[in-house]
Amino acid sequence: MSKVIVVTSGKGGVGKTTSSAAIAVGLAAKGNKTAVIDFDVGLRNLDLIMGVERRVVYDFVNVINGEATLKQAMIKDKRVDNLFILPASQTRDKDALSQEGVEAVIEELKADGFDYIVCDSPAGIEKGAFMALYFADEAIVVTNPEVSSVRDSDRILGILQSRSRVAEQGGSVKEHLLITRYSPERVEGGDMLSVDDIVEILSIPLLGIIPESGSVLQASNSGAPVILDKESEAGMAYSDAIDRFLGEEVPHRFMDVKKKGFFKKLFS
Amino acid sequence: MELKGEMSMLNVLHLHSTDVSEIIKQLESKRDEVPAFFQNSPVIVDCTNVAEALSNIDLAALKKRIADLMFVPVGMRGMEPEQQAMVMKAGWPALRSVAKKKTAVSEDTQSSATSSAVESQAEEKPKKATEEKSSERTVPQTITTNGNSTEVFAKPIRSGQQVFVDAGDAVLLTHTSAGSEVMAGGSVHVYGAIRGRVLAGVHGDISARIFCRSLDAELIAIAGRYQLLDEGTTDLRGKPAMIRLDGEKLIIEAL
Repeated sequence: MSKVIVVTSGKGGVGKTTSSAAIAVGLAAKGNKTAVIDFDVGLRNLDLIMGVERRVVYDFVNVINGEATLKQAMIKDKRVDNLFILPASQTRDKDALSQEGVEAVIEELKADGFDYIVCDSPAGIEKGAFMALYFADEAIVVTNPEVSSVRDSDRILGILQSRSRVAEQGGSVKEHLLITRYSPERVEGGDMLSVDDIVEILSIPLLGIIPESGSVLQASNSGAPVILDKESEAGMAYSDAIDRFLGEEVPHRFMDVKKKGFFKKLFS
Repeated sequence: MELKGEMSMLNVLHLHSTDVSEIIKQLESKRDEVPAFFQNSPVIVDCTNVAEALSNIDLAALKKRIADLMFVPVGMRGMEPEQQAMVMKAGWPALRSVAKKKTAVSEDTQSSATSSAVESQAEEKPKKATEEKSSERTVPQTITTNGNSTEVFAKPIRSGQQVFVDAGDAVLLTHTSAGSEVMAGGSVHVYGAIRGRVLAGVHGDISARIFCRSLDAELIAIAGRYQLLDEGTTDLRGKPAMIRLDGEKLIIEAL
């Protein structure tokens, strides 16, 4: 059974594309046939983060308009088996997306035997974001530990609960909370919201906590999703999140302020 | 140009007789109680209760005499669809009739009134939807007690969502988020934190109350008297509280 997962947030710049890339790689690496689609028409970034920007011939909008087939537009990842990327158009904008067009693409992917279809949503609550979430079975809501991000995530949750297709048919989208750019030091200092605060306000199950990490920038610069960086804490946290998503019980790491060792304290 | 939704006080004159002189006499004595308050105030005439005998009423005369009393007749509602032409010919704008709805969390709200008092009653028009055109609703469980229909909501009320319980109480089993609105004709009971706006007694019921496990509301209102929580002085922020109306003042008490 194919599952459509939307990675959304409401707020911009919180880590949706970084997370979509990491999640898609993580799922594919576990043997699942995975597609990741960039819904940010006109401001595409997924191709950059995945390192395929120079391999884009046709895009999502070309497929919707019938100018290319899905097979022509999808880019096969060179590092991970079972992983395919459908980039967005850079020359057009979100008005180019139509509900029927998006539905047709998703149905074709399902017919093609994809286990997971990850939809990388743009920021906002207008057409692009709405198209990305409309067909979702599950949603990963990416939130920074900061008040405006939490408020926007709450808003997008409301939209998921009332205007997704699953909701229209009387069901509910399965929601997961992914906290990104978490800094235990700043939480301790009172600048950032704690995990408990965020979970209390949003009331959805916690999928993972990704710590703030310089490796994320390095990953986007090199076009290799951060989950492939085995030494990065963010990468490890994404791996844990994938395991949890697939049903394993994994304790949350990287939540505590690092205690400086004796020698570090002495010499710092 | 801007088209904005607004909350405003509106009088509704519910007709129970077809005798225009009698209606005007009663309206005049009501007006004379507080003439300054009613001067130039908009009034909608609701003829639901006299709809069968509507043709016996001189509607044009009614409109003129209401205007003579310094009210502003805004429109008429409650007539049968076939009577609309007659009403409009007499000079009354025909307004949408109120329908009793079972609803719930929605992305847009509609105005409605269901009271059946003899005198005019102050009524609030809830904010109209601006962006959302479609109305997707999730129907909650409806519990009917004493002819009052209480609606229960089990999911959190998210930022940007509006809940409207027309005739009855709203019972929320979990919290409301900042940026949400909960409105009820009766009382509002929240078994969680209130972080958004909460308006009870929206049709003028001054006995309506607001209850919550944690008071963090942005705005509280009962029967149209509202207050921004931050502008008041209460030690009950973050604590279980009950809010009631005492005259024109909102009283916040510990639960």
